[in-house]
Amino acid sequence: MKRNERESGQAEKESVPGGQKELEEEVLRAGLCTGCGACVNLCPYQASYRDRTVTLHHCDLTRGSCYAFCPRTPADLDALQQKLYVGADLTPEVGAVSGFFITRAADETIRRQAQHGGTVSALIALALREGLIDAAVLTGEGERLLPRGITVGDPETAARLGKSRFVVSPTVAEFNRVSRTDCLRIGVVATPCQALALAKMRAQPVADTESGIEKLRLVVGLFCGWALSWRNLTALLEERMDLAAITGMDIPPSRYHTLDVYTGAGTNRISLDEVNSCVRESCRSCGDMTAEFSDLSVGSARLPEGWETARFWNQVIVRTKPGSDLLDLARRKGVLEFREVPAGNLEKLKAASLNKKRTAASV
Amino acid sequence: MSIDKQQGEGAEVLLMGNEAIARGALEAGVQVAAGYPGTPSSEIIETLSRYAEPGKLYVEWSANEKVAMEVAAAASFSGLRSLCVMKQNGVNVASDFLLHLVGSGTRGGMLLVSCDDPGALSSVNEGESRHFARLMEIPLLEPADFQEAKEMTLWAFTLSEEIRNIVMVRSVTRMSHASGNVVLGALPPSRGKAEFLCDGKVSDPERGPMISAPVVEKHRLQQEKIRKAATIFETSPFNAYAGPERPELLIITSSACRLYSNEAVSLLAAEGRVGILKLGTTWPIPPAYVKKHLMATEKVLIVEEVLPFLEEQVKILAAEQVREIGFKTFYGKNDGTLPMSGELNPDLVAAAIGRILGIAPPAIPAVYGEKLRMYAGLVPRREQTFCPGCPHRAAYWSIREALQRDGRNGFVCGDIGCYAMAVLFQAAGFHTAKTLHAMGSGIGLASGFGKLGSFGMDQPVLAVCGDSTFYHAAIPALINAVHQNANVIFLVLDNSGTAMTGFQSHPGLAVNAMGDAVPMVDIAAICGAMGVKVVSGDPFALRETRETLNQLMEEGGGVKVLILKQSCALSPEKKARKQYLMRVDEHLCRGDACGCNRLCTRIFRCPGLLWDREKGKAQIDEVICAGCGVCSGICPAEAIRCEEAPLS
Repeated sequence: MKRNERESGQAEKESVPGGQKELEEEVLRAGLCTGCGACVNLCPYQASYRDRTVTLHHCDLTRGSCYAFCPRTPADLDALQQKLYVGADLTPEVGAVSGFFITRAADETIRRQAQHGGTVSALIALALREGLIDAAVLTGEGERLLPRGITVGDPETAARLGKSRFVVSPTVAEFNRVSRTDCLRIGVVATPCQALALAKMRAQPVADTESGIEKLRLVVGLFCGWALSWRNLTALLEERMDLAAITGMDIPPSRYHTLDVYTGAGTNRISLDEVNSCVRESCRSCGDMTAEFSDLSVGSARLPEGWETARFWNQVIVRTKPGSDLLDLARRKGVLEFREVPAGNLEKLKAASLNKKRTAASV
Repeated sequence: MSIDKQQGEGAEVLLMGNEAIARGALEAGVQVAAGYPGTPSSEIIETLSRYAEPGKLYVEWSANEKVAMEVAAAASFSGLRSLCVMKQNGVNVASDFLLHLVGSGTRGGMLLVSCDDPGALSSVNEGESRHFARLMEIPLLEPADFQEAKEMTLWAFTLSEEIRNIVMVRSVTRMSHASGNVVLGALPPSRGKAEFLCDGKVSDPERGPMISAPVVEKHRLQQEKIRKAATIFETSPFNAYAGPERPELLIITSSACRLYSNEAVSLLAAEGRVGILKLGTTWPIPPAYVKKHLMATEKVLIVEEVLPFLEEQVKILAAEQVREIGFKTFYGKNDGTLPMSGELNPDLVAAAIGRILGIAPPAIPAVYGEKLRMYAGLVPRREQTFCPGCPHRAAYWSIREALQRDGRNGFVCGDIGCYAMAVLFQAAGFHTAKTLHAMGSGIGLASGFGKLGSFGMDQPVLAVCGDSTFYHAAIPALINAVHQNANVIFLVLDNSGTAMTGFQSHPGLAVNAMGDAVPMVDIAAICGAMGVKVVSGDPFALRETRETLNQLMEEGGGVKVLILKQSCALSPEKKARKQYLMRVDEHLCRGDACGCNRLCTRIFRCPGLLWDREKGKAQIDEVICAGCGVCSGICPAEAIRCEEAPLS
């Protein structure tokens, strides 16, 4: 985010024009690409491969959607927030906050299949079931831990895809693809960088491109500390276990300092020091931990009972009216369970988020 | 082709140099002819193949030049007249056998015809084969016109039989591919039957085994033969002098350079001052004959292509005879009077003569310059690239996309064939191919690159080769790569023929040079027998090809073979037959807008695609579009539509 923050201070408030050349210089070769897929499926020049965004052929346009939509190209993020959110809700630490909750899926099956409390799975399933959206762009698992963006139309499938991935998926590329089909209302579960790309699309569609951005109805953001490089992660894991045996992964609260990898044979605990070397370069300079450009953001919870209880709940930041409406609907339909938010939770989250912003700014 | 069986003795016909050589061989009663296609030599075997007849003339396209020479040598050993034909670098391939053949000697008259390519008009080298004659100590003849090409070839068989060794005839592109009038001679009746007499002693040249041992003794005998040849050359009608009795400047020349020299002298109107000694027997040069002409002048200009081959021989002779002939001033390659690389032409020779004699070459009339400017503007700018419908374009497209996805700076080792253009021209290979050397060197280099992993190289290594090249020289290198467990993806771009040189047959086809049905040697089966993973595909299936390549790159671990099979767009079975009628839906075409930016006409660049500047849309050039349908697969807007073409 460093670049974005710097640029936001400039007098020039409009987006800076650029094309593939600038994208390559400022993002891809600079190691800032998040792999979100915002520049993919717009044209035949960029593609996602494994967890990377690659340039297939040379494009000589000086102004392109790829550059405009990329979450790592210069943009006035303050102006973007002002445009998309209620000014009074904006906080410097975690973006717009119109509500803050602790929730979990009421359906135990969803919780079992999902990460933490299964809130995201439950909300997406609900949005599909109620017709708020007719397509959900989610992250599915491909072979060898390689996530892929997939579009799901039925709530049951959506409810099954709730595991956290530690490798980025080109979700926005899948959005770019599906938004040009005959889907009408699309919801996306997005990491902070992906949510920012979608927000940039909303704010600055490039006129020449037939865009389907108006079909975007819901962005459920995911809290994110960083993503790992697929090549490095699989190399790290393959030293210790058979990739096929992995059933899930999680990062417990920071005092544990481990990445827990669940397999049929038990849990492998890998020190975060080792995992740290697998973190994508681009994530180190990202200051958005809570997906500030979403309708609502979901992450792991902190509870006084400790991690063993907390790991089955989520914290939810509601940011927009569509986000708030969905959460209300979930409450009315009994899809989510709510519990009281412990005092100081939002402040702790803000502190953690601010810490990431500071770290990012120092990179 | 200008010669046919109806035309007999005395007829004057227009023949291409290569046809004249073929006619000379026919008039000599050649019985076995073998070669490997290569510009500018290919028409010789092609012409001879039309005269093939069981028991009279056997013609083959061999797997490579060395095999061709061995096939022809077997005929010679059996008492038949034989010919092997190749381009300049083919002689390099054959040279290992040649070195031993000159030791054993020959029986039936045997010729090596090498067609060199000064200026590399159709080659990736301008190697000179003349030096092999000196290196191998065999006589060398160089025709300087079309009639002579026929006569010299005819006579070379006699010479070969006289000295019992192979004789080399060297042509160049401008001799082989230009045409001139030739008076035909008679075609002889069939010659004797083949029998390899081998029950005699090693020392018996008639009935002994054909070997180069005892080496020193055989070598001495060979040198006796070459001295005999030099003596014969003293009175050869292929050496001729034209000019004043005591020329101010003596030009010594050979081959097409004789024509350039004639023209240059005439251009300068210097016929009274310059004499031209044209040598047809250029190794060894006839010493007494050349000495006689050297004595008549003080200044000598040697005009030849490419290296100073005659020049060095003449200078050695002059040094040896200096007491008798006196000191001479030599002009040529060594002193920079003429360039030592590239082709010569009348202008270069005229300029050289002009500098030596202080004559200003006549100025080019201004009207030529005006016309040049006028017509140059009318010629559309064209880049060298693959033909419309060429499977290589599709193959390289997938290679490019796969390499870019992989992201580890992988590269392709190129090889000799149309697909070599990927190395030479960026629009052809999309910047993927990075090396280009001899036939089979792609996989050979890849075998080496593929072993550099332990030195930290993690770039995927790909090699390409065509079907004909596969049989020619790729197999040993592939075996090496397999045996050494090199990390290589080997793509065989199988377009079902020796396409670049004109669809000559090769071992993968069911028909030989004479049109007979023959067994096919299956590339996939050969590779499979080496124990490596072999995948076959259609290069027109872009996505499948790309995904296969990416999968093979991810797998790593030794040699993987991908055979991409699709006939050449110009192959007889495809030519003028479109599989699809292509059209561009202008409403869907994104043109130069973001989202496409003319991918088809700016990057893919099949010549069958046009850019309509006024409309800002792509178009199909219906005249040259081959109807392969590949471009519909690259259009991001699905604007390029395929319709099944009606059967014609």
